[in-house]
Amino acid sequence: MSTVPQESIEVISQSLGINNLAPEVLPGLASDVEFHVREIMQEAIKCMRHSKRTTLTSEDVDSALGLRNVEPIHGFASGDPLRFKKAAGHNNLYYIRDKDVEFKDVIDAPLPKAPLDTTLVAHWLAIEGVQPAIPENATLEVQSDNRKAEYREDGVSVDVKLPVKHVLSRELQLYFEKITELTVSRSSSILFKEALVSLATDSGLHPLVPYFAYFIADEVSRNLNNSYQLIGLMRLVWSLLQNPHIHIEPYLHQLMPSVMTCLVAKKLGNKFSDNHWELRNFTADLVALICKRYGHVYHNLQPRVTRTLVHTFLDPTKALPQHFGAIQGLAALGPSVVRLLVLPNLEPYLRLLEPEMLLEKQKNGMSRLEAWHVYGALIRAVGLCMYNRLKKLPTLLPPLRAMSRSNPKVITKIPSKRKATVDNMMQQPPLKKLATNGPMGSLTANSVPVDMSGTSGGYAANIQVADSSFPSISKTFSNENVRGISARRDGVASQGYKSSAVLQQAWKEEFDTGNLLPLLYEYFGESMLNFVPTPELSLLL
Amino acid sequence: MDEEDIEKAVMTYLKKKGFKQTELAFQEEQQRQHPKTALNSTNSHVDPEIACQILSFSSELENNPAQYHEGYGKLRSWAYSSLDLYKHELLRVLYPVFVHCFMDLIAKGHIQEARTLFNSFREDHEMMHARDLQKLEGVLSPSHLEEMEFAHSLRQSKFNIKICQYSYDLLLQYLHKTQSVVMLGLINEHINFQVSPGQPTSISDDAEVVTFMGSGQDATNLINQKEIHWGLLEDSLEERLEKAGALVPDSAKVDGEAREGEVEENKKRPYEGGKQGASLKKSKKDKVATATGKASRVETSTVSVAPRVKPELTLPSIPAEVEHSILEDLRNRVQLSSAALPSISFYTFINTHNGLNCASISQDGSLVAGGFSDSSLKVWDMAKLGQQTGYATSQIVEDSYPSDSLLGANSGRKSYTLFQGHSGPVYSATFSPFGDYILSSSSDSTIRLWSTNLNTNLVCYKGHNYPVWDVQFSPVGHYFASSSHDRTARIWSMDRMQPLRIMAGHLSDVDCLQWHVNCNYIATGSSDKTVRLWDVQSGECVRIFIGHRSMILSLAMSPDGRYMASGDEDGTVMMWELASGRCISPLVGHTSCVWTLAFSCEGSLLASGSADCTVKLWDVTASTKLLKTEDNKTGSINRLRSLKTLPTKSTPVYSLQFSRRNLLFAAGVLSKNT
Repeated sequence: MSTVPQESIEVISQSLGINNLAPEVLPGLASDVEFHVREIMQEAIKCMRHSKRTTLTSEDVDSALGLRNVEPIHGFASGDPLRFKKAAGHNNLYYIRDKDVEFKDVIDAPLPKAPLDTTLVAHWLAIEGVQPAIPENATLEVQSDNRKAEYREDGVSVDVKLPVKHVLSRELQLYFEKITELTVSRSSSILFKEALVSLATDSGLHPLVPYFAYFIADEVSRNLNNSYQLIGLMRLVWSLLQNPHIHIEPYLHQLMPSVMTCLVAKKLGNKFSDNHWELRNFTADLVALICKRYGHVYHNLQPRVTRTLVHTFLDPTKALPQHFGAIQGLAALGPSVVRLLVLPNLEPYLRLLEPEMLLEKQKNGMSRLEAWHVYGALIRAVGLCMYNRLKKLPTLLPPLRAMSRSNPKVITKIPSKRKATVDNMMQQPPLKKLATNGPMGSLTANSVPVDMSGTSGGYAANIQVADSSFPSISKTFSNENVRGISARRDGVASQGYKSSAVLQQAWKEEFDTGNLLPLLYEYFGESMLNFVPTPELSLLL
Repeated sequence: MDEEDIEKAVMTYLKKKGFKQTELAFQEEQQRQHPKTALNSTNSHVDPEIACQILSFSSELENNPAQYHEGYGKLRSWAYSSLDLYKHELLRVLYPVFVHCFMDLIAKGHIQEARTLFNSFREDHEMMHARDLQKLEGVLSPSHLEEMEFAHSLRQSKFNIKICQYSYDLLLQYLHKTQSVVMLGLINEHINFQVSPGQPTSISDDAEVVTFMGSGQDATNLINQKEIHWGLLEDSLEERLEKAGALVPDSAKVDGEAREGEVEENKKRPYEGGKQGASLKKSKKDKVATATGKASRVETSTVSVAPRVKPELTLPSIPAEVEHSILEDLRNRVQLSSAALPSISFYTFINTHNGLNCASISQDGSLVAGGFSDSSLKVWDMAKLGQQTGYATSQIVEDSYPSDSLLGANSGRKSYTLFQGHSGPVYSATFSPFGDYILSSSSDSTIRLWSTNLNTNLVCYKGHNYPVWDVQFSPVGHYFASSSHDRTARIWSMDRMQPLRIMAGHLSDVDCLQWHVNCNYIATGSSDKTVRLWDVQSGECVRIFIGHRSMILSLAMSPDGRYMASGDEDGTVMMWELASGRCISPLVGHTSCVWTLAFSCEGSLLASGSADCTVKLWDVTASTKLLKTEDNKTGSINRLRSLKTLPTKSTPVYSLQFSRRNLLFAAGVLSKNT
């Protein structure tokens, strides 16, 4: 009947050394305890209100006890609200974590930083009723929402004044100076990171955007041989883009040239040691972000960016780092861009690139490194593209078949491929069920290869074994595999005859993707397999 | 009706009440009668109605706790299923009945039943009476009822319910019909119906319809009938300015410094003041003039201008140079209205580590005091501090910082002056009107007077027995008032160690207080959810304002002395008319505690600062005008027009202050976790 359980009373009394408490006393005590606890909490809430707080602290309870002339409970003094933790295994049991502290540790520990002293800062909350857009004030968006709500609630229209343009305040000037100074001189410091956070979150920075745009353009053109500087600047752009209170669209045209420069410039950073690859990577993401965010506002934004990148990519006179930047940029723009623009040009490009990568053809180690970088970027780009396709269409049958046929190297890598093939077989039926309106037909069509492989020497069973222990027996198994594959080829052939027109339609897309993988495999070898979606691979395991 | 049953019932009743003699007599009589009744049992004609009553009454006496639950449940479902027209009136009856059912059960020791009753029906009343229910929830034994003030006062006094004739009849009829004597008894004992003829009042959450009074409603009515003189003081500076202003058009050189803007303004005011008889309700500017004007005018509206009053206290004299600066300020005052909103300068405390309990801003905004829970009082001189931040933009509006202030005088590391002396958290601080003294009140039950010129403690006033929640200087200085957990408010003068008056009457803590502009009254807000107005001279309570649903946290008096605003814990602000003691309009909008309220200097705007991190500006003129037009429609709530909501950046607003030039100063603490 009382919210204080009688067991608690019992436990407390025992802890006080009273062991022989009569059970009939318990309910009385429990209700009394509850009453007095409530009373004290009521007083504590009063104290809280007078301390102008909305969170109850242990201090309030202490002063409430003081009001009742009761000894306060010591040991919980802390200005911050207590953090309660849930006791494991109990639903409604909370406790305060008390850490054991070694005396020695406390004594040896360096003196903690003195807490900052209380200070007072002044700003204008409103000037003749209008809130200036300065960092000290809450965001204007929120305010306008509130205002709209007010219209409804009192039904009286309130005349809304538009925010007035102000000259750049001293504070903002100072802020700008600080930020630019940090970017120029100390872009690796922790302070700079803080500054970036502030740029990304603070409201009221809007008046500074044109200045920042100008600053970035200026600094980029001046610091082309200092990649650290450039990456700092790009981060600045990133932060500005993140800030929800800034409307950066009108300044994008000023920013884009600088950003593109950082992506595809011939030379970024003067030293060989400079990590301009990282800069290009980062900028590629940045470009993608801009395109994604503002693509719908500026309809020609993405086409223009893409055109620039493709031009760079396809121009053999451009330096390899430029190609790298272009590929990264295209990759970041999304798999469909890669599919449409990179893949068709892949073969000729690789033909050009290959000699650069080989030790015997390209003696300059630096150039070779660059070529490998480009190669890596290409792999990543097309790989991601493929991954994306495969994600959508989990059928791998034709590609693998083609692949196994075309590349002799495959033998060594059978198990992983096998996984994919088997996986494929298992997945097909449900897919077809969904994709076609003739599920029966497709089901039979698909069951054929399985049956076939099954008949060709009890092979299906073997697969399971092989997959579970593939590293050890992969060699022994290759023969069988070839057989299996050939058998399956037949299956596919027969399937081709049997399948209906509908089915073929469904397959078309798949072949499209399907052709992709073998093609890529041809170019890049097994490294491409890393991009085969893992869930598909793991399904079998 | 079986006669024997009745006899048995009567017997048990007598036994229970211990009427031994009567019982014996009854038995004797019964014995004698018995053969007779046996003979002509057919003759017995007991009125079945009465028999019923007796029987049901007897069943009550069995002390059956289920009766309460059942009775209340029935009454509730009856009320809920009644006609829509009368429903809301009948529903009002439920809460008092519910509370008393609960307390009766507790008092009779049926704790378990009381709990069940409470838990099954508490939701009905959660909205209106959440806080009371929380208090009652803890009552678990008859002794608690005795201990707890709230329960005690509930049981000793009556609820007032306004109800129309028909609803009243309906209720009575129901009670008779169902013979729920328990309910009837409860209602009879604890509810005082104010039956009004005619149609039921319109549905409104008018808080006054169900009121609970500590001293009974008659007393409150009596108190609220007392006469109060809310007029402004004779011979105030404003008045002098009016006179001086009238001269300005004739000779612009009166003050030797004829700035065009001011002259224009001064021209305008007396002009409008002159033609007031014609268009009185036109604008609030007129109203100010009306309130300040002395000449008797024919008024069309019901509210008449209060005549100037003489101060009941001997007032301190104002030094000439201070007077001069005040006049200067008044001349430069910006006229505010719904179209011309004030500029707000916001002072943000940072790094307070949850320690700031109160903030106070001096009249001219140049000094800011903060009271901390570590017993310290810190005072910032904004004239020194404001140089870096305030000056770049200060040209936009008129600057209230003294322009010849100490440039570069920012000496030392600390930007503030530290006042130490209290031995408990400082709950309130107030500046004297001219900023040369500060008073602070603390949980150590003392009030300390500090000098800002000497930077030292001057006096420690002891008198309260419990933490002093609030202290306020009177508008003229010298006198001050304090309020405390000991349920009293006290009036002091700076030169005496003992209080001059003690105002007792509140039923719970006195949480906040405010002086009336003419210094003859103080208003106090309390945890008992009432605001009271006290006569300073006699120490008597002259008004009780009932309507808030939670603890009152802030009070403000309009500069014309006619209205008072009060803000509570739930975020409701109420506007009261002092003369009638009525609530003009509740101001709904804040979602959390209203820490502070301030009227603009000519009374056209009300600013409120709250824990929900907003400053709201309300249009006072619009609401009072509404009141005049629909004066007679009772129950119609004209919500005060909210002009603007100004959100701060996670900074609850602790204090607001309009300077004499109508620049609004606000102060608050930057809190990260809100």
